[in-house]
Amino acid sequence: MNILVACKIVPDDQDITVASDGSLDSSRAHEIVSQYDLNAIEAAAQLKEANEGSTLKAISVGPKKADDSKTKKDILSRGVDELYLMADDSLADLDSRATATELAKLVNKAGDWDVIIVGDGSADDYAKQTGVQLACALDVPYVAGATNLSFQEGNLEIQRNLESESEDIELAVPAVVSVSPEIAEPRIAGMRDILKAGKKPQNVEAAEEKPEESIETVSIKAPKQADRKQEVFDASDGEGLDKFVSAVKEVL
Amino acid sequence: MNAFVLAETENGARELCAGARQIADEVTLFTFGNAVTGVADKCLHLQIPEDAIADDAYPSVNESFDASGAKVVLAEPTVRVTSLAGRLAAHANTAAVPGVNALKDGVATSVYFGGTGVKESKPETDVSVYLISAGTFDGTQATGTDTVEEVEFKAPEKLAVKKGTAALPKSDIDLASADKIVACGRGFAKEEDLQLARDFASKIGAEVACSRPLSEGVNWFPREAYVGVSGAVVKPDVYFAVGISGQMQHMVGCNDSGTVIAINSDKNAPIFKQCDVGIVGDLKDVLPALTKAL
Ligand SMILES: Cc1cc2nc3c(=O)[nH]c(=O)nc-3n(C[C@H](O)[C@H](O)[C@H](O)COP(=O)(O)OP(=O)(O)OC[C@H]3O[C@@H](n4cnc5c(N)ncnc54)[C@H](O)[C@@H]3O)c2cc1C
Repeated sequence: MNILVACKIVPDDQDITVASDGSLDSSRAHEIVSQYDLNAIEAAAQLKEANEGSTLKAISVGPKKADDSKTKKDILSRGVDELYLMADDSLADLDSRATATELAKLVNKAGDWDVIIVGDGSADDYAKQTGVQLACALDVPYVAGATNLSFQEGNLEIQRNLESESEDIELAVPAVVSVSPEIAEPRIAGMRDILKAGKKPQNVEAAEEKPEESIETVSIKAPKQADRKQEVFDASDGEGLDKFVSAVKEVL
Repeated sequence: MNAFVLAETENGARELCAGARQIADEVTLFTFGNAVTGVADKCLHLQIPEDAIADDAYPSVNESFDASGAKVVLAEPTVRVTSLAGRLAAHANTAAVPGVNALKDGVATSVYFGGTGVKESKPETDVSVYLISAGTFDGTQATGTDTVEEVEFKAPEKLAVKKGTAALPKSDIDLASADKIVACGRGFAKEEDLQLARDFASKIGAEVACSRPLSEGVNWFPREAYVGVSGAVVKPDVYFAVGISGQMQHMVGCNDSGTVIAINSDKNAPIFKQCDVGIVGDLKDVLPALTKAL
């Protein structure tokens, strides 16, 4: 089967700093694959490996800095055969509908496909909307929150957890499926995978035109932080542990 | 103006209808859960066929929305309603605003990067769709009639087949009313080490909670037990973060605690900047020492 996986390249939130006016500064942040999209890539790679003769291509849409050689290699070192990336500053911080419109263009370039796997939600907005919007753009069925995914007799078999029940679902392809992070732990790529990744095809292009956006961002600011005392002891200093225990006793 | 509420639980329906009432003259509730009366001007109820998934009710939802003439949609962020809200947003040529915890004059406030930021945004389209977090509106304020109308399930051309369903085990974890919480993170290398936290918690009368990876990564805890932006938001008097690094996505769930106490073996862990009392040490030494001393 032919599998596509959509992933978002985002600044690492560990590197985001707060500027003096309370705005967030991600200009010095490393670009990484959004945390739960790594689980989606892993689920897609396992599906590919379980079905002999399958292909796996990754698709992604983002700003110019998403075209980052280390991040692209990272994607390609995780069982992905080929990457389609649209990187352009007019594609920064798109809403889910605009993202889906652009992803659909990449889907059409990536050749035949049976299933598109997307992650639970991206680290920035955690909207859980891009997958369903993509399904609408492509006019195919969509199932959210898969915790298990397999391909049997031409259909996808999906298990998922809702709030208080689980469901077993059968779905004909083509379809879009979002996966819960628990579906698969991302692999740690070995040296050989990383070297091989450098030789895999990358199709990087600019935007054709700036997509139409539905949502206007009014402001993004750092939240107010609680002031904490930060009284930290060290267990390796002779009395550290005792002092800590006394401090805890005082609180309780 | 009319508002359209998409919800599946009674609580969700109440809260969202109360919120909708603040911004609209007429409120239509659409639910595929139990019909809820007294909260909207009309409750549209749809029974999902046994072998279908609620996500595939979108032709019926979209048609009811069109008929309602509403321009604003408030949706409950459950798995299935989140799908339906996305289908409805696409149908109305817009994108849903996610994770909304305040709404004023059309401007929604949402968490950004798991709590690293707060984002305000506003749909520029004819129709606005908002996914509203639990607790944003006061459900007791909802008012309405007893009118319930049944809506027919119109299957989309291509749809999923539900083969089976099972209740998820109910947990008896009660984090909301706990005044002490001991939260465990990935610093626990083995499941049996959790006993150290359980012994300490039972000594001081605390509930045991966890970070998301211990619930969804390794399944050592039920989903109700994890604290954070996508899990439980708690406000105990004392919160122990044990083997938890202090990522924002976790900390937004416990930032309102009275006192935060951290146990972590890495002196550079971000948790130490967000705690009142902390110790750099191995949880396997520190927890037994606490249990013994208290
Ligand atoms: C969209 C999104 C939503 C998310 N929502 C949530 C959420 O709601 N809740 C949540 O918790 N996470 C959430 N996360 C995940 C979050 O980003 C972190 O990955 C997670 O909180 C980390 O869990 P942790 O602190 O247990 O593990 P780690 O970050 O791996 O930290 C483990 C810590 O244990 C310490 N340690 C190791 N060994 C020992 C020892 N022997 N003794 C003492 N300390 C030790 C280490 O120094 C380290 O600091 C979300 C992520 C995303 C992208």
